[in-house]
Amino acid sequence: MKMTWSQSPRQPEGNRNGIHWIFNPYLLLAFRLLLAAVFIYAAAQKIGKPLAFADEIHNYGVVDYGPPLYVMAVVLPWIELLCGFALVTGVVVRGAALILIGLNAMFLAVIAKKTAGYLSDGTPFTQIFFDCGCGFGATYAWKKLLEDAAYLLMSLALLAAPRHRFVVSIKRRSL
Amino acid sequence: MKILRNAILQAVAIVAVSVAVGFAFNSFSRNGINPFRAPAKVPVLADSTRAGAEGIRIIDLEEARRVVESGLSVIDARRKDEFDEGHIPGAMLFDYYDMGTYRDRVLPLLSNEGEIMVYCSEATCEDSELLAKELYLLGFTKLLVFKGGFAEWSDAGLPVEKGDL
Repeated sequence: MKMTWSQSPRQPEGNRNGIHWIFNPYLLLAFRLLLAAVFIYAAAQKIGKPLAFADEIHNYGVVDYGPPLYVMAVVLPWIELLCGFALVTGVVVRGAALILIGLNAMFLAVIAKKTAGYLSDGTPFTQIFFDCGCGFGATYAWKKLLEDAAYLLMSLALLAAPRHRFVVSIKRRSL
Repeated sequence: MKILRNAILQAVAIVAVSVAVGFAFNSFSRNGINPFRAPAKVPVLADSTRAGAEGIRIIDLEEARRVVESGLSVIDARRKDEFDEGHIPGAMLFDYYDMGTYRDRVLPLLSNEGEIMVYCSEATCEDSELLAKELYLLGFTKLLVFKGGFAEWSDAGLPVEKGDL
């Protein structure tokens, strides 16, 4: 067996008009590489530091200390890492996209909840600044919300794309 | 619909592999944890008169000074670079987030009979309390948390040691 980079057959011309510009193979490849870079980097910051990551999750006030929190702290970074590798190689790319849709929707919800807490304390929206525990350090809430919304849209495009090109395919050597 | 079904199957496979690899890595990692342990139920003693009681007692600057002068064990729960910049005299570094390294280095130097004071950077940090809970579970049951931390200590003009020990 050998692994090669292959391109799936081109889409029919009709599919490449209108809103389907988002399914341009080069744009989809850019989405995959960007998301992969973000999630592999984020995972690398958390793997091997389950106590620190558990505290960061706990700071959102959604999950209390206990087995569900600790299991998340142990497993979540590996899900991010494997999704990153799946996006780079194009293997199980739709599964990775589906997981990233779920993760980004969850990140958006908890960051929005935390932001709402700051807003109720009287902090102006543009001044809300905290560490989301995502592995990238402290940042402005509006920036993080925009980023995660963009990642969510990219993941949706990857899931809905009719075809993916530039994927690693495993071929059997002929005997 | 077929695309979605395939995506769900692939997602389940990714999560299953992540669970297997994550647990395997955690069991071999120096900083690995028992993810199924019950949350630490440690008595937090607010009454400052109960010196020597089992549990975690929050102490103020004045009592922290008496603890240091009396020669009880003092643990700094911050990072190494913060510790090297300055720490309470006689304190031992125990980075809460690097359990694997400091557990073997510091625990043999502690007595589970006497009180142990733990502090971190300032009043808002939680690492001193989190580390105190870990120490309690490890059998060190008389713990004092200096809530004001290194910031209150140094702001009060009290002596500070620098560098690695």
